[in-house]
Amino acid sequence: MVKIRYLLVGGLIVIIGIFAFFYFFPNEEKKVKKQFHLLSEWVSKSPEENAFTMLQKIKNIGTLFDERCELKAPSQSLSGSYTREEISTYAGSARSHLSQLDLKFYDFHIFFPEKEIAKVTLTGRLTGRSGTGEQVDETRELECVLKKIERKWLFSEIEVVEVLKK
Amino acid sequence: MEPTYHNGGVNFCWRVRYLFSEPRRYDVITVRFAGSKVMLLKRVVALEDEQVEFRDGKLFIDGKEMEEPYVRLPCHWNLPPRRVEKDCVYVIGDNRSMPIENHHFGQASKNRIVGVPLW
Repeated sequence: MVKIRYLLVGGLIVIIGIFAFFYFFPNEEKKVKKQFHLLSEWVSKSPEENAFTMLQKIKNIGTLFDERCELKAPSQSLSGSYTREEISTYAGSARSHLSQLDLKFYDFHIFFPEKEIAKVTLTGRLTGRSGTGEQVDETRELECVLKKIERKWLFSEIEVVEVLKK
Repeated sequence: MEPTYHNGGVNFCWRVRYLFSEPRRYDVITVRFAGSKVMLLKRVVALEDEQVEFRDGKLFIDGKEMEEPYVRLPCHWNLPPRRVEKDCVYVIGDNRSMPIENHHFGQASKNRIVGVPLW
């Protein structure tokens, strides 16, 4: 009877250990996804957001990017190589035009062509309301490249896929 | 796609339509816009290597004015001529009453075509 109890407790400890291992040491795919969740969290804006939170979020956005990041969005005339400071400034300016903003990512397809490089194809949906009350709702397919630099996955390329070319 | 298909309507996609055939002019097709869930419903107006142009709302293919009975809302678009690339089709919605810059249209790769609406 005592043996069975020890076995059960042992089994439980092993199961908890396995869960703890995966929780505290997530695989690379989870780490890449986390960067998108952070980007989503920091780009998003609630109507009640105060100035301190806004400044903190804008500052944080820059930390997700490589020293230089290639942006390709022909329809938004936003193409070129930008420093993380420029990206933070641009994000801050774009956020200031909207009273509410929500960025969500779906349909992740992640693969690793090299050890420290991740290529991600996904859907990005941006919804919100402008300062004048106009509704914003844009969905696009994105292709991103993230590089692992000093154990952190950083965005180095973001391309908005042009499905319909006028 | 008003007035052919109403906004908010529900439909199903017939995926096998182009397994053994190619899209034809005036077919209404489903184009994969983002991921596996976001689709657009558009009409094929030009095929590869054809030249597309709009003059005061009238569609011209290779310089010839096309009949478009499905367009019932007023349209005054102007678009300089452009040639459809290889393995692409040129798609436009039926509702052209909005300004041209607000309408999702253009050439789409055939790889992006998922099928046709079931009804």
